[in-house]
Amino acid sequence: MASLAGVRILIRNTGKFRNPISRTCLRSTVTQLQSNERYFHCKRQSIVTLLPQGTRVKQVRQYSIAEPMSLDLIRKRVLLVLNLYDKIDPQKLSLDSHFINDLGLDSLDHIEVIMAIEDEFGFEIPDMDAEKLLRPTDIVRYVADRQDVYE
Amino acid sequence: MSQRSKVIQLYKTLLYMGRDYPKGYDFFKKNLRKVFEKNKRERDPEKIDKMLAHGNFVIKELEALYMLRKYRTLKKRYYEKS
Repeated sequence: MASLAGVRILIRNTGKFRNPISRTCLRSTVTQLQSNERYFHCKRQSIVTLLPQGTRVKQVRQYSIAEPMSLDLIRKRVLLVLNLYDKIDPQKLSLDSHFINDLGLDSLDHIEVIMAIEDEFGFEIPDMDAEKLLRPTDIVRYVADRQDVYE
Repeated sequence: MSQRSKVIQLYKTLLYMGRDYPKGYDFFKKNLRKVFEKNKRERDPEKIDKMLAHGNFVIKELEALYMLRKYRTLKKRYYEKS
């Protein structure tokens, strides 16, 4: 509770001295205030855990955390996207099949495939790189490089 | 930038633009493809340049179309006569 009192005094002080002190000074006070608050928060949490209250559910907040990527997952997602593309025959599709030579797509289809991959993984692939991504394995490697996934 | 990559970029931009097309994305995609395939045998660089310019004109038209649509929607919401 001592820290709470400290916070209160700080708030009062900043209110009183807002006019004369310079802006930088005020900012430093504010940061001090925030750090104090954080300290207070930690302290209170520790008190809560000490209380004997039977079973307590530990709350972990995971807002919109990205799911962990693995090479296998990327492979699966790429293949899923390609399977859903209507001009690719799912029977012929494998990781090493060439889009233009094996799957019979033309360059316009290839652009559409790359756009579908962009949508799936949520980043843009520049045209320069897109030209080189001619097999599903190339796409998997490129996506893994961009997302910092290594074996 | 080579002409080929310019064409590719044009196609990509048009595909992105077509997502909100009033008649639907599929309709837009089908027609866009038809137009591109119609001219795929063209080898004359000057003619291709002209077509690229036309493509960029179409992009501008689409933008204008969307702006107009937005404007009409807003107008309808604010000044609708009951």
